[in-house]
Amino acid sequence: MQLKARHKIAGIIVGAVFLLAAPYLVPYQALATQMLIFAIFAIGFDILFGYTGLLSFGHAAFFGLGAYGTGLSLIHLTSSVPLALGMGILLAVAVAIPMGFLSTQRHGIYFAMVTLAFAQLIYFIAFQWRSLTGGDDGLQGVPRPSLGPVDLSSDLVYYYFVMAVFILALVLGVRIIRSPFGRALQALRENTDRAMSVGYDPRKYKLISFVISAGFAALAGGLYAMLQNFVPLFSLGLDISGEIVLMTLVGGMGTIYGPVIGAMSIVYVKDFLSSQTDVWPLIMGVLYVVSVMTFRRGVVKELKERFFK
Amino acid sequence: MEPVFLFSQFFNGLVLGCIYVLLSLGLTVVFGTLGVVNFAHGALYMLGAYAAYTIANHLQLNFLACLILCPLVVAAIGMVLEKLLISKLYKLPHYYNLLLTFGIMFIIQDAIKIIFGPEGEPFNIPDLLQGAVNLGFMFYPKYRLFILVVTALLSGGLWLFIEKTRLGAIIRAGTDNAEMADALGTNISWTFTLIFGLGAGLSGLAGVLAAPIQNVQPAMGMDILVQTFVVVIIGGMGSIGGSILAGLIIGQILTFSIVFWPPGSTTLIYAFMALVLVTRPRGFFGRVSFFE
Repeated sequence: MQLKARHKIAGIIVGAVFLLAAPYLVPYQALATQMLIFAIFAIGFDILFGYTGLLSFGHAAFFGLGAYGTGLSLIHLTSSVPLALGMGILLAVAVAIPMGFLSTQRHGIYFAMVTLAFAQLIYFIAFQWRSLTGGDDGLQGVPRPSLGPVDLSSDLVYYYFVMAVFILALVLGVRIIRSPFGRALQALRENTDRAMSVGYDPRKYKLISFVISAGFAALAGGLYAMLQNFVPLFSLGLDISGEIVLMTLVGGMGTIYGPVIGAMSIVYVKDFLSSQTDVWPLIMGVLYVVSVMTFRRGVVKELKERFFK
Repeated sequence: MEPVFLFSQFFNGLVLGCIYVLLSLGLTVVFGTLGVVNFAHGALYMLGAYAAYTIANHLQLNFLACLILCPLVVAAIGMVLEKLLISKLYKLPHYYNLLLTFGIMFIIQDAIKIIFGPEGEPFNIPDLLQGAVNLGFMFYPKYRLFILVVTALLSGGLWLFIEKTRLGAIIRAGTDNAEMADALGTNISWTFTLIFGLGAGLSGLAGVLAAPIQNVQPAMGMDILVQTFVVVIIGGMGSIGGSILAGLIIGQILTFSIVFWPPGSTTLIYAFMALVLVTRPRGFFGRVSFFE
């Protein structure tokens, strides 16, 4: 037990040092920010996929809605960063409730298809609604206003702002899964019938989990819009939906920390490979196949199992 | 609006619906029997179209040869994928195969893009099927009628196959557990491979048939995959009749929205899916507690 506590402290120190130093470790500062943004996305996605056992193939919808919601608020409504991020989350949650309601009617495998189809609907609405969203040119000119006295316009300052949000999101995510609600989700994932027989309503829990994960995705999307000063249409697309699944899978679903590491690694690897070659989708496909066939429980768990046992 | 114009649009909707019927039949048979949601289904459709393009343009064979060879080629590729990868995951939760085929989809799509380039390739309607036929009340392109006939024959054939043959009985049993099918006394592993090959072959055939009415391009599989999902969700996963009915309806919705309200051509089918999910959560003919 004591050893475990010591490991934990060591882990926190390594993590903290890495987070503080990250902008200096990667080729450019905005890349470190992007790594953390997808890590926030992955925390929420793991609550849904890892802990609730629901595989959504449409989570780009919430990432994108958060990005458009925050971006449009900053352009038209407010110069308050928290308020704009809140608007993005609100927009995503407002869509996630009916979408989750309809998708959680269908169990297991249907869920992936239904969420994917709804995400396509949202993608095409954004594509068609040019006057509001800019269509396939994306939403241009998203400002990055100051946060109170803190000027966020420098990429380094913005990184540390996103880092603070990331830490809050991580604490919140861990709290959620350790709460009675989080335990109930895991009970439902393991044995729906038994959990139902002790009085849990699975649909209610699945829906709440879906909405929570949409909120995390939207927060990440909002931060992404401010990072890029721009919302690309592909932020709503199937590629992003697929990448977040891969990040969670590679890191090890149902561990929170695994998907965080998975997300940061994949963003890094993608950036590196995209600068070397233009066959990223091919490599992503191979990564998918390899991780499903061999690293099913995530790199972290599998390595532990194989080399430290 | 002229009635003849509406009629021809209705026929166009039927033809488009036929492509969806062929695709969703393959998807639903594979799902119903193996419990695999094949995300690579659209990529196999695209492979069918590229196989036709290659056979017609480089090997200089005629369209009939394409129609026979391409589905076989795609079926063979599907069977190799099933034997080497997909079959290893049957005992695991269903979503692992979904993730696997999602990865395969990206590999196939990007590989085709690298080999043939990202631009589309034109594919001409075969000489024999060019021109139009007089239906009495209107003229209609021969090739499109040909698609209608082929799909009708194939759907009928598939129905007979599933109702009358031993392999069909296994498909009808719609089992996700190999023990159940083992009890039928067949070599399950090869049966599953054959069924996956059948699904792949059907999508390959859809690809060949669609090639002359649209450009052959790497993204064509991804675009149609989600629409095919919508078809099987509406029709009811695992239901042959549901796939046919829903495929034809989606064909009509897409065609008529292009005529009357173009923005709806990309969005209306999803709204329709939402409506069906609200009123009939399992789709038209979905079975209770089927793979749930």
